[in-house]
Amino acid sequence: MARQRIGYFENRQDPENICSRCRMCELMCAFHHHQVGNPRRGRIKVIALGQGEDIPVTCLNCEDPPCMNICPTGALYRKTADGMVQVNEDICIGCAMCLNVCPVGAITLDPVDGVASKCDLCQGEPQCVTYCPASVLKMTDAGQFARYRMKGFARFLQSAGEER
Amino acid sequence: MSVFGGGYAGQILYVDLTDGSIQKKPLDREFALKYIGGRGFSSRILLDELKPGIDPLSPENLVILATGPLNGTPAPSASRLIVAAKSPLTGALGDSNSGGYWAPELKYAGFDAIVFDGRSSEPVYLWVEDGKAVLRSAKHLWGQKIHQTSELLKEEIGDDDIHVCAIGPGGENLVRYACVVTDEESVGGRCGIGTVMGSKHLKAVVVRGSRDVGIADPKRFKEAIDAYRETLVGEVWTETLRRLGTPNLVAHRQKLGIWGAKNFQRATIDGWEKISGEAFREKFLLKVMGCMGCMVRCRRYSAIQDGPLAPTYTKGPEYDTINALGAKTYVTDPAVILRAHYLCDEYGIDEQTAGSTIAMAMELYERGILKKDQVDGVELVFGNGEALLHFIEKIPFRKGFGDLLAEGTKIMGQQLNADYYAIHVKGLEVDASDPRSLPTRALTYAVATRGSCHLRGFPYIDEFIKPEEAMAFFGTPSVSDLHGLEGKGKMVAWSENWVTVSNLMGLCLFAWYRSRSFPMLIKRGLDLVSETFVAATGLPMTSEELLRCGERVYNVEKLFNVREGFGRESDYPPPRFFEEAMPDGPGKGSKLNREDYDRLLDEYYEARGWDKKTGVPTPEKLRSLGLP
Repeated sequence: MARQRIGYFENRQDPENICSRCRMCELMCAFHHHQVGNPRRGRIKVIALGQGEDIPVTCLNCEDPPCMNICPTGALYRKTADGMVQVNEDICIGCAMCLNVCPVGAITLDPVDGVASKCDLCQGEPQCVTYCPASVLKMTDAGQFARYRMKGFARFLQSAGEER
Repeated sequence: MSVFGGGYAGQILYVDLTDGSIQKKPLDREFALKYIGGRGFSSRILLDELKPGIDPLSPENLVILATGPLNGTPAPSASRLIVAAKSPLTGALGDSNSGGYWAPELKYAGFDAIVFDGRSSEPVYLWVEDGKAVLRSAKHLWGQKIHQTSELLKEEIGDDDIHVCAIGPGGENLVRYACVVTDEESVGGRCGIGTVMGSKHLKAVVVRGSRDVGIADPKRFKEAIDAYRETLVGEVWTETLRRLGTPNLVAHRQKLGIWGAKNFQRATIDGWEKISGEAFREKFLLKVMGCMGCMVRCRRYSAIQDGPLAPTYTKGPEYDTINALGAKTYVTDPAVILRAHYLCDEYGIDEQTAGSTIAMAMELYERGILKKDQVDGVELVFGNGEALLHFIEKIPFRKGFGDLLAEGTKIMGQQLNADYYAIHVKGLEVDASDPRSLPTRALTYAVATRGSCHLRGFPYIDEFIKPEEAMAFFGTPSVSDLHGLEGKGKMVAWSENWVTVSNLMGLCLFAWYRSRSFPMLIKRGLDLVSETFVAATGLPMTSEELLRCGERVYNVEKLFNVREGFGRESDYPPPRFFEEAMPDGPGKGSKLNREDYDRLLDEYYEARGWDKKTGVPTPEKLRSLGLP
């Protein structure tokens, strides 16, 4: 199995299938991991860009993860080559070097515990995917996600053809 | 430390704007159990702390921002914030609520509510972060519209992940119906709470929080919210609201013929299709939105991208936008309605009262009571969208005729000697629909404790309750008859207690009460909510007790109003509904009948345990609710 991550599968032609900024993903993520209400402890965040643009952002599960590579204590690790990078909270010293190198900002320091915090795919059943009311979050791999984008582009070409 | 196992932050913030002092007080467990939160906290504090008869715009008034115990948890649609004060529009108890993200954020910052007292000598805003609060100068923000205020604050604080609750120029200039806007787009519109903020020179309350809202029993909580969500999946209302938002009701109003169009001179609208839910979706919808933790997603995000009113980006419209700014003024150009809505939000004035007041002025102009030179030379006739937009730009600054429009219908009626055309109850304009053909709605609007309101009760139970359910629950099958009167007073009283529950918890009505099944109202609205409350807070609660909390709070509000001089006579719909029959549509010829209405009101008071002559809660009733 190729490396998994959470993908944002929006359909811009359908107003109901775009992130609607309900932030359920943030709430359920924090609840799953810490049994509290506190979206700042969620490992996914909806970024509001204004004028109705909202995009959920989380870990991309890089092939060559800078966060893991730079960690001075070895607190970030991968169980298997295809699996998600995880945090050993007992070893993490909260130095935030991983934050500095993550290209998308998907690793943070937990505001309560002070240690590195990132998506772990909830051990295979991501709560953000289960609870997203727009069903735009899916567990995916790079190949699937690329095909989804290609399909969108193909549809665009198709409609351009129809207009002609 | 909080004495609560979860749900509550456990602290209330008291800010005296006169001397700038800020105090934190622990939330008392018994107080929480009795009043739960939200409207329960705000109404009780207003009754306890305000002296009778004060001028709502004096420093003695309070502004209260209150959350409920479920705000900040992942409970479905627990996004609502209550804003409350003695209303400068009505002189009665005033509150309004809004969705978005602000109420949960206040909990993350460590507070259940904020109470503002006094008046600052110069404009200030309150900055609240993780258990700390400071007042800062807002001189540079005074005069700014809503979005610009937030932009400046985000720049100043150096973070765009903050949540702003602000007033616009409408509140600063003491328009009597100024609103409170959170997160730039969520509006607590009614009753002029923004006006009271303006009178206190309080421009904004800004929060950022990263503290936990605890969950006492996470496993039980998850089961409860999953069961709650389950009741919303496949509910026809959920689907309709997602697809069309509240504007789905446009077709319903036309079908039943219950528009209050042209200031209640027409019950149907020619060319209503242009302003239907479908039309707004087709023309302007960018996407559907959800407030915090919402799976219903009734909120619209819309844009006018071409034409003379472009660019306009705004959340909405809601049904009540279309009703107040469209139907009442008989403006049926959807782009004008959307633009007017955007302007009301940006200037911070309540679109309900703004639309209603302009509509009343249009009628007075057409009747010759207002002359052209009194209305700044504008051709102020029904259907004139330009006139509507013109005055929405004038009202926030009280310019020209906008100065009188800024007073609302009641005062405008008094000043022009034209009370009859002011369609309000206790000073708050009738929204939602024309109740002349449906007396249960008339009763609901007339007895609501914040003035005319369609969200204080749930009179639509008669549209779907089965006769056997009506018999078992209200003691008469007549409650299931749309035009029956018997049992309706009892039904309205019950529904008010029940609706109050969602306002105590911080839950959104639209994910809470919409159902066409009476048993579901009990199951979701009480059983699952009390279960969620128990799991979140660790406090004891039952469905029956929760409903009693709703009744208790309703009685507290009534006591406030009685103290301000609102007796039985204030629980009547406006005279027009008794005098004039509906001129068109399916309800043509209908008007309210005084004998029938008196009967309804008597039955309502009886069900409430209030004195029939005066409307005052009896000592026995108060004792039974633990209200000494």
